[in-house]
Amino acid sequence: MRDNTLKYLLVLPAVLVVFATAIWPLIEAARLSFTVGRLNRPGSLDQYLGWENYTWAFFEEPAFWNSVWVTAVYTVLTVGLTTILALGLALLLAPGGRLRSAAQTLLILPFAMSPALIGVSFRFMFNPEFGLFDAFFGVVIPPLADVSWLADPTLAFAVVVMADVWGWIPFLTLVLIGGLASVPRDTIEAAQVDGASGWRVFRDVTLPQLGPVLAVVIILKAIFSLKTFDQVFMLTNGGPGTATQTLSHYIYFNGMKYGQIGYSASVAWLMVIPMIFLTYAYAKFVFRKA
Amino acid sequence: MTGKQRQRLLGTVQVSLILAAIFVMLVPIAWIFLAAFKTHVDVYQLKLFFTPTLENFGTVFDDPYRLGEKLFNSTIVALVTVVIAIPIATLAAYSFSRFSLRGETLMLVIILATQFVPAVVIILPFFVMFRDIGLLDTRLGLILVNLAIVMPFAIWMIKGFIDGIPMDTEEAAMVDGSSRLQVIRNIVLPMAAPGLLTSGIFCFIIAWNEFLFALILTNKDAVTLPIGLALFKGEEGDLWNLLSAAGIIIMAPMFVLALMIRKYFVQGMTMGAVR
Repeated sequence: MRDNTLKYLLVLPAVLVVFATAIWPLIEAARLSFTVGRLNRPGSLDQYLGWENYTWAFFEEPAFWNSVWVTAVYTVLTVGLTTILALGLALLLAPGGRLRSAAQTLLILPFAMSPALIGVSFRFMFNPEFGLFDAFFGVVIPPLADVSWLADPTLAFAVVVMADVWGWIPFLTLVLIGGLASVPRDTIEAAQVDGASGWRVFRDVTLPQLGPVLAVVIILKAIFSLKTFDQVFMLTNGGPGTATQTLSHYIYFNGMKYGQIGYSASVAWLMVIPMIFLTYAYAKFVFRKA
Repeated sequence: MTGKQRQRLLGTVQVSLILAAIFVMLVPIAWIFLAAFKTHVDVYQLKLFFTPTLENFGTVFDDPYRLGEKLFNSTIVALVTVVIAIPIATLAAYSFSRFSLRGETLMLVIILATQFVPAVVIILPFFVMFRDIGLLDTRLGLILVNLAIVMPFAIWMIKGFIDGIPMDTEEAAMVDGSSRLQVIRNIVLPMAAPGLLTSGIFCFIIAWNEFLFALILTNKDAVTLPIGLALFKGEEGDLWNLLSAAGIIIMAPMFVLALMIRKYFVQGMTMGAVR
């Protein structure tokens, strides 16, 4: 067989799988978003409704805007905190040596953990009676000694953010360590010889060199933050009330608990839109290297 | 303070910070490990010293929890997902790596983009379809949707490995009269084998930890381990010692696998954006 035919045959199965498991659901979800789409009403999945699901979300549903707000704050906080802490940790661990290499190895562990299990473990850590972090914060910040973290809207939100940051710091740190390794040593040394302070070297030499890698991890983290579901489901199930209800959780709740597939599909599509921009930005970095 | 003293102080501060970071990273994991060996009385206290017991690991496999069934489901689902995904991804990755195809960049971007589609968007149509054709609560249904999250990683990761294999051996074999398919089988596959294994392990971890699909698609027969965690919410609250034992069963094998492929974890996760 000629290579010219073969090269398309080789990618065909993969393209078919990707189409069936990702492209088709997107198209079908778009179709569902314009239907009445009630799980318990036969035929309603084909009953055309126009834009009503979308206008409903925008104008009649404060809960939708609540989840947009929760997701936005959550994304900004988790991306910011994770990036800053991971950058600090990466600078600390990058020089290598026995202790630092051991630390780098251990960093892989939280990342291999199921996000659902991270949720469980943080619910455990913040249990009012026997949670270790609960006890720790009680000692360090006395006003928090007797609070029940997950019953308070603000504190529950804080715990969800902490769990996410904890779970993602290792990955971002490892990526940034890789990025730091590619910053040319002689540029740094030249700056040091010129008498630049540690902070100046970091700000004027290291940080600009690290720029592209930093951009990649920030985009990637933002994508995963926007999608967050597993930890939230296991930690707070969106509560108390709807204080920690992210968009994914809101879609899940409306679609699966209330059977409003059409409506939840419309919200799901609203969520895809920011993803398109982020993915575009990400793809630009991937192909810049290639 | 002299320069030397400052250096030493700085070193001490750094070492303490590193130790503190390790501590914070490990404590939630260690706490689960400890709790799994505590009795249900000890677990409700902040105890560091206790008489360890293996009882919890027995209880989780007994009625009514029967974690063994979930362990079986998780293993089958993750394994079959990988066994389907890796060969398909390998063929595509080879083609992307060695040839220039019409619309190649577009295809690669779409494959990359599918990884970023929220799982909750993908699962709504699948739920409706599986309900109609009777695939709800089956391992087969779960395997099919798991391909959605695993395939993009597999293709990109394997492409990275094949990109790294020099082409001259292949060309020499072609000159000697081997066909392209023979070249793939006899030369590329053996050389790419470690990379394929690494990609397979990476995808296995992702499929094993998958949560949302299993939550929505399964309720009894095909329940996987992460969903099984919900079993240990008793009427009187969470059964932490049992939750912890189940937690160890979920995470310990993944720790071993992750350490095996640790060098490639970052590369796999970023799909080649960072090298």
